[in-house]
Amino acid sequence: MSFLNGVRAFIVVFNYFCMSFTILLSIIYIIQMVVSLIRVRKNYEKNFSDDFMRYEDSNNLLPISLIIPAYNEQENIVQNIRSLMKINYPSYEILVVNDGSTDKTRELVIDAFEMKPIETSIRYQIPTKQIRGVYFSQKYPNLLFVDKENGGKSDALNAGINISSYPLFTCLDADSRIEKDALLRLSIEFIKDSRTVVAGGIVRIANGSKIVDGELKGFTMPKKLVERFQIVEYYRSFLFGRVFWSATNSLLVVSGAFGLFRKQTVIDVGGYKQNTIGEDMEIVVRIHRYLRKKKIKYKVIFNELSICWTQGPMSMNDIRSQRRRWQIGLMDTLISHRVMTFNPYYGMVGMFSVPYNWIFELFGALIETIGYFLIPFSLIMGELNMFFFVMYFLLAVMLGVILSEGSLVLEQYTHRAAMSAKQSIAISIYAVLENFGYRQIISLFRLEGILKYRKLRKTWGKIKRKEFEQ
Amino acid sequence: MKYELLAVVGLLFCLIVIAFEYFLHYRLAEKQDEKEANTKRIDHRMKIRVEGILYAPTEVSRNSEIKKMAEDINDDYEIYEAAIKTIESVKERADEKQKESLSKLVDKINEEVNPVSIYATMLESNDVYHKGYAMRRLADLGAIEYKETIVEHLKSKNRDLAYNAAMSLAQFGDEENVAVFLKSIQNDRLYSGRIINEFFDEFKGDRACLAKLLFKDCNSYMRSSIIKALIPYKIEEFHKMYIENSVSKDFRLKVACVKAIATFGKLEDEQVLQMAAQDKEWVIRASAVRGLALINTPTALESVKKALRDKEWWVRQAAANSITQMDISPKDLEDILGGYDRYAADAIKGVLYKKLDSLQ
Repeated sequence: MSFLNGVRAFIVVFNYFCMSFTILLSIIYIIQMVVSLIRVRKNYEKNFSDDFMRYEDSNNLLPISLIIPAYNEQENIVQNIRSLMKINYPSYEILVVNDGSTDKTRELVIDAFEMKPIETSIRYQIPTKQIRGVYFSQKYPNLLFVDKENGGKSDALNAGINISSYPLFTCLDADSRIEKDALLRLSIEFIKDSRTVVAGGIVRIANGSKIVDGELKGFTMPKKLVERFQIVEYYRSFLFGRVFWSATNSLLVVSGAFGLFRKQTVIDVGGYKQNTIGEDMEIVVRIHRYLRKKKIKYKVIFNELSICWTQGPMSMNDIRSQRRRWQIGLMDTLISHRVMTFNPYYGMVGMFSVPYNWIFELFGALIETIGYFLIPFSLIMGELNMFFFVMYFLLAVMLGVILSEGSLVLEQYTHRAAMSAKQSIAISIYAVLENFGYRQIISLFRLEGILKYRKLRKTWGKIKRKEFEQ
Repeated sequence: MKYELLAVVGLLFCLIVIAFEYFLHYRLAEKQDEKEANTKRIDHRMKIRVEGILYAPTEVSRNSEIKKMAEDINDDYEIYEAAIKTIESVKERADEKQKESLSKLVDKINEEVNPVSIYATMLESNDVYHKGYAMRRLADLGAIEYKETIVEHLKSKNRDLAYNAAMSLAQFGDEENVAVFLKSIQNDRLYSGRIINEFFDEFKGDRACLAKLLFKDCNSYMRSSIIKALIPYKIEEFHKMYIENSVSKDFRLKVACVKAIATFGKLEDEQVLQMAAQDKEWVIRASAVRGLALINTPTALESVKKALRDKEWWVRQAAANSITQMDISPKDLEDILGGYDRYAADAIKGVLYKKLDSLQ
């Protein structure tokens, strides 16, 4: 009897905890939404007089090294390099780092761009696995191909940094495409404010979109439900979350698919961390930690008008692998930098951003999933007020819809939406539907990431992605 | 009962917000479709008009086509810009003769359309961003008659507006007002460094005059930023000042001056650069090495060869890259290739490989 009473008491306490958790999260989301709305609107209007195209031939822009780590990327790599050669930027080099691919990545690039080995000295500012050779092409003088032993994505990026000659570098996924003007928009952030050390762009799901030479040429609604849900998810995550965190200079993640970094800062912090699958988040957190510790003024910026397209996973299995990986990456980073949590020494980052990620991004999945299992149990135990439950559920769903729909409105406002009016309205239906099943499944995948942290923390896993439509 | 009522009210509020969002989304989506269709229509119409003008058989029919285009534009800056963009895209594919006639065509269209009045109207709007845009466009069009109106915005509290006003004045070559603006921001180090570069780049007047006005009354940060911004223009009259300040105790100023002297590549500066090549700061040594490479005398070559063994990597890199531009004997080449500095050896090899590749 006393055990049953204990269970009952736990259910009641947990229910109150869940309610408080949801209310707190809702308040945070609403603040994020308001801040993002104001900021995106202002940036969009400012963009009119900024007239960034004036910088197209400017000598004042810093030259950029584009680093593309490639491991078994024979399907996309040549196409990707060709599209990068057409980007709108006065001075840049492309460094393709072949991370010991076992397929034909190396041969394809060397043949396609008529590359020949050259002798070059590498300044190993960050230790990496051995570089087997560097290739150069007379025909494409701003392209370098680096062939190295397999050491993982971080190692490949570090090798690229060692070889790069320019003060800014960007890491690009071999399966992503950046828009023609994306680099121009992003690098302006570095001349607008010399404190800028990292700038990230928006990543959009390319499934269904036709991107030719870095320009969006059309959109057809992707066939699979999971692809449609991801479109909504990405808008929400980038247009609310990142805009807000950037406004408070406490953005912890700059997507691995597209971010521009001040090279010296990355070298100062020791480069990308090896043996982690969340290297994109880890490097940004480490930069925050290092610069705050050294009391150096800096800025980590998010620019929502600078666009990178990526192919989202097409099956639930691939989404599972991706979300598990993201969760493990998040957990790994938070554990590595746990000293920053609620530490006033690290300002907004330590007091707000890191704790937010611990509580809502990491353990949120755990609390949400326990809630899903506890609801039927509470019903059986007679501890659940049906009216209260229905109201609570409806409010939670509606808040989700408000946020997702809000991000779609923002996207539409900036007039950079890929879709026609009909498609845009059609996609907003998924802002409602995602709350019934998809969100819950994603929570389970995230929880699985937490539970399998020790086992999978060094495994990347391969996700099958669609090729870009030409 | 209270909580239940609160929940229902909350739910209703959420529903209203969602309905509002959907409505807004729908309206914006519709607007975007309209805008896109309109842009396509304008582009298409402008293409036809430009073709009509380009291939008009007689001067009379050409003028009539230009008139029709002016009617189409009807004081709408978007249509005007679409027309100019179409001509520019044709220009990209045209030969030199065609390019010239296309430039004349733009002048004729401007005579007919009077874009200055379009942007002058925009300048009167209350939106600061539209005002800023209009000022820049008026400057592009050389509408000097609006200079005074633009000057009024120079002291605006809105930084974007003041920046655009000053930038437009830079396009007009107005050194006095540009100098006033630049001096007003000299204490904001995060802002002024970049702005000075941009302004000197964009300035259409006498850069030396602008620099002299600024040098009169500016802090040392701005002085060194100006010197750096002036490096590409190699202004002879400041050469003496560079020499004087190349031994300054102000580090930034010293670096800027040594960099500036290095770009001149004057034989008479060798002594100064030789001294700078011995400096304790690697930035100064690296800059001096680049300058010595341009001077290209046997003594300069010796100093550059010495810099190949510098303790700082950046100096060695500068020396290795510079030495490939100098007259080096086969023995020197052999020494470097077999020398202890791998970077220098590889830099030479790299240049040789690339040269060889281009010969094949």
